Amino acid sequence: MRTPTGSILECVPPAVKLAALFSISVLLFLTGSLTLLGSAAGTVLVLCLLFCRFAVLQWLKAWPLLLTIAAVALWTAYNDGYQEALVLLLRLGTLSLVATVVTVTTSIGEFIETVTRAAIPLERLGIANARDIGLAIGLVMRFVPDVRQRYLAVVDAHRARGLPLRPTTLIAPMVIGTLKSADDIADAIDARGIRTNSHPQKRAENA
Amino acid sequence: MQVVFNDVSVTYAGRVVLQPFSLRLTERRIGIIGLNGSGKSTFSKMINGLVLPDTGTVTTNGFDARQQAHEVRARVGYVFQHPANQIVLPLIKDDMALGLKRLRLTRQEEERAVSDVAARLGISHLLERRAHELSGGEVQLAALASVLVGAPEIVIMDEPTNQLDLRNRNMVSRTIRSLPEDIIVITHDLELLSGFERVLLFHEGRIVEDGPAEVVIARYQELVG
Repeated sequence: MRTPTGSILECVPPAVKLAALFSISVLLFLTGSLTLLGSAAGTVLVLCLLFCRFAVLQWLKAWPLLLTIAAVALWTAYNDGYQEALVLLLRLGTLSLVATVVTVTTSIGEFIETVTRAAIPLERLGIANARDIGLAIGLVMRFVPDVRQRYLAVVDAHRARGLPLRPTTLIAPMVIGTLKSADDIADAIDARGIRTNSHPQKRAENA
Repeated sequence: MQVVFNDVSVTYAGRVVLQPFSLRLTERRIGIIGLNGSGKSTFSKMINGLVLPDTGTVTTNGFDARQQAHEVRARVGYVFQHPANQIVLPLIKDDMALGLKRLRLTRQEEERAVSDVAARLGISHLLERRAHELSGGEVQLAALASVLVGAPEIVIMDEPTNQLDLRNRNMVSRTIRSLPEDIIVITHDLELLSGFERVLLFHEGRIVEDGPAEVVIARYQELVG
């Protein structure tokens, strides 16, 4: 997640950054005024260029996300008119830029710690285990590149065998491989004592 | 180490994975060999309570693996056959620190523990790297580091040199030899076991040979043909 950016925002506590992200997203969706949304977008962009230029570069590199926003805006323009589309574009554009700033200036370790702390009230209410929530978020971030590598390996295997790429033949090895990894990860988490409430299981396999 | 198996057996889905046996492990360097599916990994996973026996008890350094699983796991580190899957967080330093959370150390203490272990294994340069960017040997050492940072008394390594090129294999092999902790290695790499005090040979769910490395390896080669 974080590459050292040299930005002053790296020194801001992650909880403050996440709270700011939440507040900005609420504010952006409270107003439908183009003037206010345009001003907000402009201000965020200028602040990012001044204090975290790296985030702007990363935001521009996230073209699938920007393309999705553009597609949704086009659809909105077709259905509800240009004004609604512009509102949506400004909201999602600003929000994605602020989210990128938080992402590039916060390490995953800090992120997990913050989410875990934020989830402690849920644990007190008996709804969820705070460390499990933090760990789940860390695992999702950790295994995104792995799933991509697995996908590329399956694609290569198809090409090597001269098989056409079909969703049905791609999905099965991806799901099987991912489930096998999930089993190994669960074992590793237990073995490392990361989850304090895990219990031993009877689980022999092809060993 | 003091690992005691008392009349232990394991079955899984109607298949006997390990026939009943009793055994005491006390040596500092123990190797486990045998064909695929002979029961090696199941045997080793019982030592830290990842697999529970159907009959009998396993005690590790005085703690019952069934009743005192947390105490056992705090004392036994396990490096899995596919070490990439055991690195839970993207950044190596974050992953190493994750295993320390249960100790409730300060951030400075955590950072010191992580950097000490990384320096000891010669992987300080990997701390800021991401798991998916590392070579096979580096992943193996990073997984070992994430285990060692918890200061285990026993380290179990499942096929630590599997799929490594010669350079990485030698690097991992040297590291294993230099570890002060008690070591149990499951391996098909018989050279890795030279100098080990004791080697167990598994075959079809039984320990068919138990003794010094040279004797057991010779018996294994004879068995395989």
